[in-house]
Amino acid sequence: MNEQKQNEEKQGEEKQSEPRQDEPRRGEVLARMLSLAGEAARGMVSRVRWLIYAERGRRVMTGLAVTGVVAGVVVAQPVCMIEPGEVGIRVNRLTGNVSELHEGWSLLVPQVHRLSRYSLKDQTYSPTRSARATDPAPFQSVEGLSIGVEVNIRYVLDPARIQTLAARLPENVGRDIIEPAIDGVLRRHFAQHTVREIFSTQRVQIQKDISAELAPLLAADGVLVRSVTLGNVDLPQQYRTGMEALLAEELNAEKMRYTLELKDKQVKQSALEAEADKVRREKAAEAAGNEEVIAAKARAEAMRHVLPFKEKEIEQRRLEAEAAKVSRLTLATAEAEAHRIEAAGEADARRKLAESDAYRVEVTGKAASEQLARDAELITRNPLLIQKTLADKLSDKIQVIIAPPQAGGFIAGNLLGQPQGASSSQAVASSATSTQEE
Amino acid sequence: MLATLVAIALVVQDQAPLRAAPQDSAPRQATLWQGEWLEVRGEKQGFIQVYDHGRERPGYVREHQVRIYRLDEASVPKLQAVVEFLKDTPGAEALGIGYAAALLRAAPASQVGPELFDALGTLADRLARRATSNRTNDVALAAHLDVAASYGVKLVSFEREGRTRVCYDGEAFRRVLALGGSPEARLRAALSLTRPECIDPALNPVARQALDEWRGSVLEQVDGGRLPAYLANRLHLRRAEVYAALSFQLSRRGEAQRGAKASARAVEELARVLKAELTEEDKPAYSMAAVRVGASRHASEPMPEKPGSGPVLELAQGQPGETCLRLVDAKDPKAPLSERCTYGLVWPGSVRRSAQGSAVAVAVQMLEGWTELWVFHQEGGAWVLDALAPAATEPVLGYVELAGFSPDGSRVLVAREALVDGKVKSSFQVLKRETLLPEKSAGSPDALGSFQRWSSSDWRGRTVAVR
Repeated sequence: MNEQKQNEEKQGEEKQSEPRQDEPRRGEVLARMLSLAGEAARGMVSRVRWLIYAERGRRVMTGLAVTGVVAGVVVAQPVCMIEPGEVGIRVNRLTGNVSELHEGWSLLVPQVHRLSRYSLKDQTYSPTRSARATDPAPFQSVEGLSIGVEVNIRYVLDPARIQTLAARLPENVGRDIIEPAIDGVLRRHFAQHTVREIFSTQRVQIQKDISAELAPLLAADGVLVRSVTLGNVDLPQQYRTGMEALLAEELNAEKMRYTLELKDKQVKQSALEAEADKVRREKAAEAAGNEEVIAAKARAEAMRHVLPFKEKEIEQRRLEAEAAKVSRLTLATAEAEAHRIEAAGEADARRKLAESDAYRVEVTGKAASEQLARDAELITRNPLLIQKTLADKLSDKIQVIIAPPQAGGFIAGNLLGQPQGASSSQAVASSATSTQEE
Repeated sequence: MLATLVAIALVVQDQAPLRAAPQDSAPRQATLWQGEWLEVRGEKQGFIQVYDHGRERPGYVREHQVRIYRLDEASVPKLQAVVEFLKDTPGAEALGIGYAAALLRAAPASQVGPELFDALGTLADRLARRATSNRTNDVALAAHLDVAASYGVKLVSFEREGRTRVCYDGEAFRRVLALGGSPEARLRAALSLTRPECIDPALNPVARQALDEWRGSVLEQVDGGRLPAYLANRLHLRRAEVYAALSFQLSRRGEAQRGAKASARAVEELARVLKAELTEEDKPAYSMAAVRVGASRHASEPMPEKPGSGPVLELAQGQPGETCLRLVDAKDPKAPLSERCTYGLVWPGSVRRSAQGSAVAVAVQMLEGWTELWVFHQEGGAWVLDALAPAATEPVLGYVELAGFSPDGSRVLVAREALVDGKVKSSFQVLKRETLLPEKSAGSPDALGSFQRWSSSDWRGRTVAVR
């Protein structure tokens, strides 16, 4: 910077020394020019005479005068236009009056009035020469590193004070007043911070500080600062790489911290869940226990109900057994009585039967003995009747051979009480007995 | 260890001796049982030289006492044929399990289907049944159980009704259900997994409910429509049993709607059983299922309309798990006629009142399969409550239900069904209202004229006692 200034000063000095060398040449030229001017003046006088005295000359002069007036009006433009969002300050050079012109047409007398226009719209300023670290005018950090910062400052002129300030402020307020002031403030502030602070940690603070300093500074010149914005920070490439690595490390450390916090929270969560689970299981166990107790009580109750039922059943069986006993006793008694009656009846019946039998035997015996007596008498009278009867009785199925007894006995000797000899004679005797029974 | 074996010898005879040398006179190292595996190491003088990894000793066995197989794909058809044959051979369960294990080892994964697991499960199940039956002459049983256990077939034992019951844990059957299989195999698997006698009696009610819900879901995995009628009957019976139990458990836990649904499902499943197709061995199961359904069928009964006057039964919550019954006069609801609390489950849909208003009956389910009939009746002007138990036995399985009142209200008709000495006994009785003692009793409702005349149509329409 200092070198530049010195160069400029040298150039200035050189320019001042040039006219002194050209002075003799200039005298010749002046003399030549004076002679030429004399000739021209003479020619002019003749022309003016022609213009005044000749008819045609007067017509030409009138035409020229009219053309000159029209051209003067066109060139001088005595009416000016104030655009919306602008304010015009008109100064009367003769009187020194200052008036404020708002949007619309206004009269502007040439050479009398001077008009200055000021914009009332918001304006922005972004120092383009210091947006990147490689630009011609970068900012400097406290370490002396060149950094580029995209800064955007929005400002507006105070409309109420424009009239008073117009007298002392330059025509281009932005370029001449505001931009240098902003540049100064920015450079001072960035020079107070490290690159890291500008880059990451103190960015907001810096922005606030700049804003806080700029606002009163520019307010004195009738400028209201609306906002200060810091954009991209451009670092030297090498520093940027290191810085990013450092930040990444920090990020990792931060990440680890959060991870640890998360783990810690997870541990706490697990503990809480375990606790909840424990409580839940305790409750479940308690509920299960309760249910078991209830089930046991219900079982005991059911058992209690079964017992009376059992007792009732036993009682009923006892009653049934008693009833059965009584009924069986009664039945047995009745049966015994019936047996007794039956036995008595039977005995009676038997006695009667015996009696009747005895009577019958007696009667039949009597009859038989009488019959025998009659038979004996008959046989006595007719001894051969026995043989005849025997022969009659023996049926024709049995062949009877009446043979002379071997022992000189009679064929039916045993019937007649003779000593027996043959079995055939016995048979005859038995048949004779059966006949008698019949 | 088994993967390294190239050839194995499967012992096919019980009490085969493992000799120290290839001679019959050599000392016996161990006694082998059918189904055991030995590693084959050579052959000598008609003996197979083997190494017993279970007992960690080498030895010799007679050639005819073992069968030798290589554990590769070539042996698969042979092993399959033997497993198929042994599947239904009684007494050869350990051998069958040994063959199935060898087949599992030899066959590639693509060839192992549900049929093999069905066979394995059937064998293990039969072995468990064999261990449960108290035959004293089964000397090989303990050894066979050890052989099965060495293959990882898990048999668990419970004490039930004064005797030990051995049950298969059903691992193979679970695989059958997971892998698919024929409807018959799936049914076999589901029936074995949901066997009621294999439920641990020490389970608490909460675990029992969870188990019953699982049993229900297992039975739902079998498609009854593709089974022959007599097998479908078994499925319906088991479902009826499970849903009847679930109905009680759900109602007990306050889930009345689900309980009612389960109860209705149980009745429906029982109704699906075709009686003509019932086999001889399924008849006791049918009776038992009917008693279970009868005990919990009140859960799905709709609430009767409230009578205008006379005694009304009100239910209220007592202690936790307790229900209090309060009989009040409809005209004077403040003074209770009779009051009683119970830990049983009172079914409000079962409340019935005699025409004269002299008796009010309600079903109270005390246990999962035990429902009593509580009768409030007038005795000398005062109201008394009598609980009618299904039978004079330990409360296990049974129910008693109201069949109606005599027209003059002096008799109460009840139907009782209960498990007595291992058999379901049904009786239909006419009780005197005053004493609730049976006046007449018969084994079927047709045998009692008065019962037939007086039993209500409501009862006849819903009961499962007449089936």
